[in-house]
Amino acid sequence: MAPPALKRRKLSHSLNEDDGSLAQPPSADTSGTSDDEDIPSDASNADLGSVATSSQADEDEEMVEDDADGHDEEEGSAEEEDDLEDEEQSKPAPQKVGKAKPSNGHQHTQRANGFQGEGYTGEVYKSNLFKLQVDELLQRVRPRHGKKEAPAEDALRTLKGIIERIPDREPQNANGGLLSNAFLQIADAERSLIKTSKIAVPFPHPRPPKDAQYKLQYSKPASINAVGSYPLKIATRTGEEMCIDLAVIMPSAIFQEKDYLNYRYLYKRAYYLACIAAGLKDDKSHRFKLNFDYFNGNRLLPVVLVRGSRDGSKGDSSASEFQIRIMPAISDDVFRADKLLPVKNCVRLKPGDNLASVSEAPPTPFYNASVRNDCLITSYLKLLHGASGHCEAFRDACILGRIWLRQRGLTSDTSKGGFGNFEWAALVALLLQRSGKEGMPVVSTGYSSYQLFKATLQYLASKDLSKHPQSFGVKVVILPTSDGTPVFFDGPRGVNILYKMTPWSYELLRQEARSSIAMLNENIFDQFTPTFILRADHPLHRYDLLARIPISALGLSSSGEDLDQELDRICRKMYSCLSRGLTDRVSLISIMTPEEDPWELGSRRSPHVRDGNLLIGFLMDPTNANRAVDHGPPAESKKEAASYRQFWGDKAELRRFKDGSILESLVWPTKDSPLSIFERIVQHVMTRHLGAPVAENVTFIGDSFDHMLPGGGHGVQPGVGLFQPMMSAFRTLETDMRALENLPLSLRHVQASDPQLRYASIEVPLLGSGRPMSQPADVVIQFEGSARWPDELIAIQRIKIAFLLKLGELLEEAIDGLSARVGLENESSSIRNQSFLDVVYSTGAAFRIRIHHDREQTLIERRLKDKSLDGAAREEAAHGVAEYKRDFLRSPAHTQAIQNLSTRFPMFSPSIRLVKKWFASHLLTTHFSPELIELLVVRTFLQPYPWQAPSSPMTGFLRTLLFLSRWDWRNEPLIVDLSGEMKSEEFSAITTRFEAWRKIDPALNRVVLFAASSNDPEGTTWTDNAHPPVVVATRMTALAKAASQTVKQQGVDLEPESLFVSPLTDYDFVLRLSPQFTKDGQRRKDKGGPKAQYKNLQLQATSAEERELVGYQSVTLFLAELKDVYGHAITFFYDENGGDVVAGLWNPSTARRAWKVKLGYSTVPVFKKMKAAKEDEDTADVEINKEGILSEIARLGGDIMRKIEVNRQ
Amino acid sequence: MPSIPLTTGPYTILPLCVPATAAYPHETSHYLYVRQHAPRIEDADTPRSLFVANLPIDATEGSLRKLFAAQLGGARVESVDFDGLRSKKSGSIPIYFEAGQKRKRNADDVPQELELPAVWDREILKSGSSAVVVFVDRASAESALKHCKKAAKTQKEVRWTPEDGLGEKRYLTHHTLRYPPKPILQSRVNNYMAAYHALETARSRTLSKQRNLPDEDGFVTVTRGGRVGPARLEETQAVAKKLKERQKNAVKDDFYRFQTREKRKEREAELRKGFEEDRRRVEEMRRRRGAVRPE
Repeated sequence: MAPPALKRRKLSHSLNEDDGSLAQPPSADTSGTSDDEDIPSDASNADLGSVATSSQADEDEEMVEDDADGHDEEEGSAEEEDDLEDEEQSKPAPQKVGKAKPSNGHQHTQRANGFQGEGYTGEVYKSNLFKLQVDELLQRVRPRHGKKEAPAEDALRTLKGIIERIPDREPQNANGGLLSNAFLQIADAERSLIKTSKIAVPFPHPRPPKDAQYKLQYSKPASINAVGSYPLKIATRTGEEMCIDLAVIMPSAIFQEKDYLNYRYLYKRAYYLACIAAGLKDDKSHRFKLNFDYFNGNRLLPVVLVRGSRDGSKGDSSASEFQIRIMPAISDDVFRADKLLPVKNCVRLKPGDNLASVSEAPPTPFYNASVRNDCLITSYLKLLHGASGHCEAFRDACILGRIWLRQRGLTSDTSKGGFGNFEWAALVALLLQRSGKEGMPVVSTGYSSYQLFKATLQYLASKDLSKHPQSFGVKVVILPTSDGTPVFFDGPRGVNILYKMTPWSYELLRQEARSSIAMLNENIFDQFTPTFILRADHPLHRYDLLARIPISALGLSSSGEDLDQELDRICRKMYSCLSRGLTDRVSLISIMTPEEDPWELGSRRSPHVRDGNLLIGFLMDPTNANRAVDHGPPAESKKEAASYRQFWGDKAELRRFKDGSILESLVWPTKDSPLSIFERIVQHVMTRHLGAPVAENVTFIGDSFDHMLPGGGHGVQPGVGLFQPMMSAFRTLETDMRALENLPLSLRHVQASDPQLRYASIEVPLLGSGRPMSQPADVVIQFEGSARWPDELIAIQRIKIAFLLKLGELLEEAIDGLSARVGLENESSSIRNQSFLDVVYSTGAAFRIRIHHDREQTLIERRLKDKSLDGAAREEAAHGVAEYKRDFLRSPAHTQAIQNLSTRFPMFSPSIRLVKKWFASHLLTTHFSPELIELLVVRTFLQPYPWQAPSSPMTGFLRTLLFLSRWDWRNEPLIVDLSGEMKSEEFSAITTRFEAWRKIDPALNRVVLFAASSNDPEGTTWTDNAHPPVVVATRMTALAKAASQTVKQQGVDLEPESLFVSPLTDYDFVLRLSPQFTKDGQRRKDKGGPKAQYKNLQLQATSAEERELVGYQSVTLFLAELKDVYGHAITFFYDENGGDVVAGLWNPSTARRAWKVKLGYSTVPVFKKMKAAKEDEDTADVEINKEGILSEIARLGGDIMRKIEVNRQ
Repeated sequence: MPSIPLTTGPYTILPLCVPATAAYPHETSHYLYVRQHAPRIEDADTPRSLFVANLPIDATEGSLRKLFAAQLGGARVESVDFDGLRSKKSGSIPIYFEAGQKRKRNADDVPQELELPAVWDREILKSGSSAVVVFVDRASAESALKHCKKAAKTQKEVRWTPEDGLGEKRYLTHHTLRYPPKPILQSRVNNYMAAYHALETARSRTLSKQRNLPDEDGFVTVTRGGRVGPARLEETQAVAKKLKERQKNAVKDDFYRFQTREKRKEREAELRKGFEEDRRRVEEMRRRRGAVRPE
């Protein structure tokens, strides 16, 4: 509870700074209207700013200085103070004094007490960590009117001056004594502008009719104001050009009451704009670059785009990055608002249509809203200003919203969604107000900026405004428009603020809002980065599948400006057809049109979109995406059936199903096509509804990743299905073993513990050919407890052998064609597991069974604690414990978890296999446990934010690469929640453990990557003992970065294969292996060749021989031996997936050094350098004997080695 | 002037010339560091031993024997004790013997059959490992060292002749050896278990004897295994834990007001600590990757 004395002290303290703390109102010449009752009074600002204590100010000053890297140092101190005060309004800085006070959601009380820093709960801000980062972000991007903005301010002033000086252009009647023909009037006006100033009037399409009866003129604007985010102080500094809107309010006198009809207003506006452009162009006092552009891509509203020329006189190139949009506007009262409601028609089909038909004419919501838009520019400025006045978090909420939208590629531009900064701000401002009906605002003014932000997202996510339009502040119910445009009707201003959105962009917005809400509701992981930092708009990361159609293939008939409308129409048609055709196979369809650029003042806009491509992005529902049969309506309901037939054409068949129903249905055969079912549906729908040329020119992007997987050929959807034979073979093994009667102890568990048994091996194990699998799948069994086990490690190992011998014997007896034999492993240590049983079925399924005995752990741990043993023995025990846990506890649990996830996410398995393939092709696999790679992919699926869980191998793969490229493994652990029930205590325990590791081992000699999961809080199971070492982990990051960069640069033109190509020149030397030992089966094939006399004999012979060779890979053994022999001196790289090169890097620590007997690598002695020779010892220096070692490797490899190439000496 | 030093410390540097191979067609050099064996604790063999360091990985007893016999004065090697042999078993004492005489008896009985069969037909040394080469007598050791020095000085070419048997074949053999025939494996296991059981019974007998026998001062030594079913460590721990829990539940810790107050304080302190922690983390993050900036 706040000590009152403290509070008073603070207030009195702040009084001294009151002068400085007045928040600066928008600068006088750019501010909105002066008679605005909503502009916050100075007094209230002072109030808000008054809590600044000196300690806070100091702290903030520091922070400002900290982040002002490079370009902000010279900011005036007055400005800086300003900034501080601004921050005080919205961002409470953490306090050092004061007690923690649990927050109750009321910012005001918190602020007054000055306890904001502590005890923020998930209510107000998600978490401390989140809040602190948001604060920092806000501080970073919040607008500052400093040096960087000065040129823009100057430019605004200059522009204003120039525009005010532009002379009036009277309506050009009776000019030169000619006929005052209206036709000539418009043409003359246009021509004279071209002649005098080389300005082409940017009339909207259709061009003004030749017999128009009205006049075009220019007279001095009523006022000129900066509008939009800049004067509201919600523009952000995010590294792009600053964009300022300058509204030129046209005098009402030049318009007539009915000008809102039939584009008349827009023609006049275009002419007015052209006159301003002419005036600016003719004025030689500035060096701006001028262009025409459309206001947010709205083809009805051209604007003049002013850019600061780069070679600014101050020579400061970084400061001159700004653009100013000059947009003509009118005051609210020029046209009657009710005439421009979305349900009205304002474009009569033909001029002179009689009034009776007006009511029947289709409404023109887009046109109406565009005109309304011009009327409401100042009105919205007032609204937003008012909102920022009475809700202090409003500005920050807008800034957060802007960043959120920006990272998702959503802007006000029609081609990019039509929902941008303005729409966000207006939506928040309206939600803050009391809506007429319910009486309560959706969000409260007492919310924090984060709460406002989240509540707005929640609103977007939960309401479907295209089906249930919202009207705000009026009771009039507006019918939903037929074309699926969402409606959020701002009653007092009479406009649908979402009028620019398309059905698909609205779906995209909701999708993004939904996944962000899901993300923000997750409490364990810090979601700041995916919310605000990551860019989520890259199509290859965002969409599971993309289709590209060249616009030239659409068969657009008309030339020129009709094109835009036609393209729009086709997109809508395509969207509705695809939505209907793909039903629940997709969760989102999004159409992206090519961007447009501003154009020269002197020319007409050239519709260059013709050369571009339409890009259709799909988010798929993986369970349905490739369903082979679609059920339509029953045959009885004639009408629906007819429409179904109409839609699908001859593809629709009437079928009778098992349950007796007779339905219209579609059957998609799975074979004989290079395309997947999904793709074929897209093609079919396009052929039927948009014409064959469109369908023929569709190219799909993303499916080529599927084809890179073994067994995933054309048209075969990769997934868990390929592994089914293997899984059922495992189940057979389990039943067979459980059925054995004479086992001394009965089986408690039979657990799978192998990538092949969790859908995660690159190669799919092929069964049934009689040829055994090359690598047996690991299985762990556990017998029921018995007191008769010996209580001693070595004896336990021997008993295991006895058990395995017995088990093998019984299995061979019980099952026909099965062979079993006991093998030995870990020969160098008697306390580790020493034996396994290889079981090969006649189908070819091969398993490697090990026995898990839980007493072992206690015994090894006892050895670990035994002080009487020497260091080496205890170290061995430590390894023993780690290995025991890994092989018998973690690995089966991991396998189980991955199996579950594979069934939950159908695209999980192929994503893992692709990522593994990537690791393999970059020769990294020997350094990464398969489990670690799987965990990386798990992260992509379980923490998919800012996206949703991937539904195609491409997204799973590329997003994993993106994560790898960003993973700062030195400072961040990898934590995945396999159970879905992780507690925050567990999470923080893991983090603590990670930090402890970094403290113990700061040089990263033992633990480099730290990968924990809810199954394995220790985090080092798969990565201990420098597996991978730093150098390899660094290489992984570098490769992932390069790959992500390629993806970003090449975009949809990416060749997937290029990501899997790894140059060998980066390595010190390369060992080329003889091909006969590398590719699986090659060797055996050669042997089988000559004695092919009797097929059956040969089969028997080979299969016996092959069974002997199950699990035999000479190269792997060779490599393991190399690693063992050379230890840290050389790092080897090898693609275990059958590659024929081994690459190596010399460890830099093997460079020249003083001589020592046991260095652990072969050395060559060299003379000491003279400098060091003064030491009394007469020892020499040594270097690693590179040539000698390469020769040794060649001898060791013998016939496996083909050639050794040395890249660097 | 030779291109490399002749000695380093007490060691003579002996360059070996290694022949080229198909995969690496260059003749290379390898350097042995040789000296009189001088361990901390000398034994009878020390005077007739040389310590050879930095051996090639494919060195075997045979190849060293041949090297000294053919090229370095014909000294005869009795045995070679490699230091860095990979499969050298640590903790390979098969059974922990309590009493000296028991060990002897067992060791004499079946010394070999207790161990599992070897899985490699030929071991490879770790890079840069060393060996103690024991010669037949002191004179041959000295002569060998002398020849080494001479060879180094005169730059006489000493060739390293590797033994065959490496390459793919060795791995194939290893693969076969990994799967010993069932009877052999079975008998080894049986032997071991028999020995183990014999030992266990002997030990428990001694223990029970100790339990019943007072020593000369009249005390009976306390030994393990007195009860029929000795409690295991985990069980005792579990019981202790249970006990603790019961104690905890006896007096609730929110019974008195001061307790709740303290609890609240604690929670507040925790919150504050958490906040400080988070702030530190954010600051560290900023330090690491600069200011937060949307991409």
